Amino acid sequence: MADMQVDVAIIGAGPAGVAAGIGAREAGAEDVLVLERDWDLGGILQQCIHPGFGLHAFKEELTGPEYMHRWIERAHKAGVAFLTNSMVFKMESDGSLWVMNPEKGVFHVTAKATVLAMGCRERPLGAINVPGSRPSGIFTAGTAQRFVNMEGYMPGHRTVILGSGDIGLIMARRLVWEGARVEGVFELMPWAGGLRRNIAQCLNDYGIPFYLSQTVIQVHGRDRLEGVTVAGVDEKRRPVAGTERYIACDCLLLAVGLIPENELSRMAGVDIHAATGGPVLNEFYQTSRPSIFAAGNVVIVYDLADWVSQEGVAAGRNAALYAAGILEKPVRRIEVRGGRNVRLFSPQNIVGSGDVTVYFRVLRPIEKRCRIFAEPGLFERRQRYVRPGEMNEIHLKGAALQALPETVTTITLDAEEV
Amino acid sequence: MTDKTFDIVIVGAGIVGATLARELSAYSLRVAVIDKASDIPSGASRANSAMIHAGYDDQPGTIKADFCPIGNRLYHELAAPLDFTLKECGSYVCGFDDDDRIHLEKLLEQGRANRVPGLEIISGETLRRREPYASGDITHALRAPTGAVINNFEAVLAFIDNAQQNGVELFLETELKDLLLSADGAEVVGVATNRGRLFAPVVVNAAGVYSDLVARMAGDDSFFIRPTRGEYYIMDKRIGSLVNSFFFACPTPKGKGITVAPTAENNLLIGPTSIVQPGRDDTSTTADGLAEVIDGARRLIPSIPLNMAITAFSGLRANPDTKDFIVNVLERPLGFVNAAGIKSPGFTSAPAIACHLVELMKDRLAKRISFIPDPTFIPERKHTPRFEMLSLEEKRRLAEADPRYAQIVCRCEMVTEGQIVEAITRGARTVAAVKIWTRAGAGRCQGGFCGPRVVDILARELGVSCEEITRHGGHSRYLVGKTKDYWFRGEN
Repeated sequence: MADMQVDVAIIGAGPAGVAAGIGAREAGAEDVLVLERDWDLGGILQQCIHPGFGLHAFKEELTGPEYMHRWIERAHKAGVAFLTNSMVFKMESDGSLWVMNPEKGVFHVTAKATVLAMGCRERPLGAINVPGSRPSGIFTAGTAQRFVNMEGYMPGHRTVILGSGDIGLIMARRLVWEGARVEGVFELMPWAGGLRRNIAQCLNDYGIPFYLSQTVIQVHGRDRLEGVTVAGVDEKRRPVAGTERYIACDCLLLAVGLIPENELSRMAGVDIHAATGGPVLNEFYQTSRPSIFAAGNVVIVYDLADWVSQEGVAAGRNAALYAAGILEKPVRRIEVRGGRNVRLFSPQNIVGSGDVTVYFRVLRPIEKRCRIFAEPGLFERRQRYVRPGEMNEIHLKGAALQALPETVTTITLDAEEV
Repeated sequence: MTDKTFDIVIVGAGIVGATLARELSAYSLRVAVIDKASDIPSGASRANSAMIHAGYDDQPGTIKADFCPIGNRLYHELAAPLDFTLKECGSYVCGFDDDDRIHLEKLLEQGRANRVPGLEIISGETLRRREPYASGDITHALRAPTGAVINNFEAVLAFIDNAQQNGVELFLETELKDLLLSADGAEVVGVATNRGRLFAPVVVNAAGVYSDLVARMAGDDSFFIRPTRGEYYIMDKRIGSLVNSFFFACPTPKGKGITVAPTAENNLLIGPTSIVQPGRDDTSTTADGLAEVIDGARRLIPSIPLNMAITAFSGLRANPDTKDFIVNVLERPLGFVNAAGIKSPGFTSAPAIACHLVELMKDRLAKRISFIPDPTFIPERKHTPRFEMLSLEEKRRLAEADPRYAQIVCRCEMVTEGQIVEAITRGARTVAAVKIWTRAGAGRCQGGFCGPRVVDILARELGVSCEEITRHGGHSRYLVGKTKDYWFRGEN
């Protein structure tokens, strides 16, 4: 197979990658190639058949496949090239890629700029240390979602859901619709992992019990899952003796967190942020390797696909500018830091002269009047609450950043009561 | 299955049964191997430390001490022709104080008596120069360069696969119900199973954790097995390079203790605990056990991060009350052979036990079966290609020859559809068997992405519906039905 040379190569055709393709073409890149390992475009949104997408991007409520369909149409019109069934199995430090697919075999793609848009994956049972047997009937919520929505199969009749991430909440409702029983959603933390609207629409509307500060402490069953033992936990998240109870079930779904998928980024030598697990970025979506850009859940896990698409467009645009040699050159370097209640945020440094949006999540919820802010004195907004399940945006004005004295080299983000 | 006749029936397709079957397949003998599991290896051969021990642990004069170093050498010789993964990594037994130092000296002497090559005691400083993550509290370590790690799944498959190529018949999901004896009880005539009878003048008991129960069927109550649970964690490949060698602490009366080891595929394996339990198939993990594993492992390598665990499992050792292997031919009933209680270093010793058993049978059972070398014996076999391990050029060639080798199914371990189809062609019937053959689902996402694809490919290749596919046989169906079905069935 002939090797390929393009201006911008993009890994992944989910919401971030498709949008990055559009952004790159619109910014003038000639050859823009999106590589997708699945047989269809759209990434995980192919299986997200519930509504709730597009409220920001299109001002209307769409399902995942409808939402992606619009973006894919736009990408085709913009002249973005796609290769499906194509696995990038190796990435060099210059951003060039080793790819294979059944039609072309193994081939090499070199690009002037590359965009990482691989998304994230779900944390499995082994990663959360639940003891017991290993019967069938234990799935991550996303795997179950694929089986139900795309393959047409049921993962179980009586389900317990561990973790209150959004996919788990969506699947609780989905399984009820399919006639299964959902015994409850159990969340280790004293607050919900997913969006408040999903708690209301997926659990409360269907009378599905939601238990905070409780977790699964044992899995039972040799061949097929027979039940789980759940227990309350103390403030250090240790099970409290005497609170154990057995719940018969044949299915356990896990919605216990998403991990940005950065195996290729590591291979290419891109710096990975210890807390987010994604590449360290500047506001141009540029990684520590200047020709490699990144957008979407591969960077930090977003709440909404709309935001991922928006970031994808911007990352693609910057990758195209870089490929053409006209991306703004760094003028300084300011580190972004999280304050006491902030661990996850992106970008992590600011190098240019323009306006910058920083996304972040709080560690602990504040359920009263509070403010989110960026020190020193760059931004402040009052809010009615902040919650770990809901991402915050901070807008920094280029002029204000420019006006900072040279001695200021860090900006601190935080949220606190007022 | 209708009744069949063989020369030898081996009960148990663990490493002992597998190595023996392969050894016997070099002769013109009709050999059957039965196992109650749906996929092999099951039992202790599936869940263990995957260590090929050097052989210094065992008291000179025991059967173990004889077999372990020979087994070690045989694995090194057979890794290439039988195409299983063996990684020469060497091992360290770590001491933390003067008492341990004395113990290490004793192991060194013992090892020399057992003819283990290359042993030496090094200082903690020397150890940490070679292994920078080793604990600062380690004062001395016994180095054994011949210690190795093996892909235990591949090894069992390799021996069985090669035996099958040479005519051995494997019967899975076939459980021994009784031993068939002559009317006077003096001779073995075969076995009764859940799937019919297999007649044979020789029956070998390689039933692992069940071997005492099988021996009872022959009236042999000379030993009993205390199933001993060992729990483990497997950690992400990203931290596989925390150690280059297999790490032991000084052994205690309970066993070799918690170890830290690189696996043949560069994951990190930590464990096992050692808890005697009554149940013979309860391989659950426990909160206490897993906590003990972490504590024990961090004593050797303090920086092991818990959040890098990808899965936990437990195995049951066939721990005999006799403390040594039980390898013998009974006088009565004649034709009954024990290869029982093969506890650590059982996996290592198995090929040596197999050779020894063949000699023993030639000597003692010559009247019942004749050992005529089979001139058509093929001593080698190939595993399914390990796509991830191939060079770029080899990948390219394979992908061009068969496009299914260019279709990745398991992202984490880079397993292609071609490998999965080949594994199914060669006998894999369950999701677990596909994982054992190919490592699809053995990576950091634990089958989250590839699970649905593997189920789909299994169903397609086997010509059944997805609902019939099981995780590991028995009642372990992966899925419970189609969507919408239930509303119509009114089961809710």
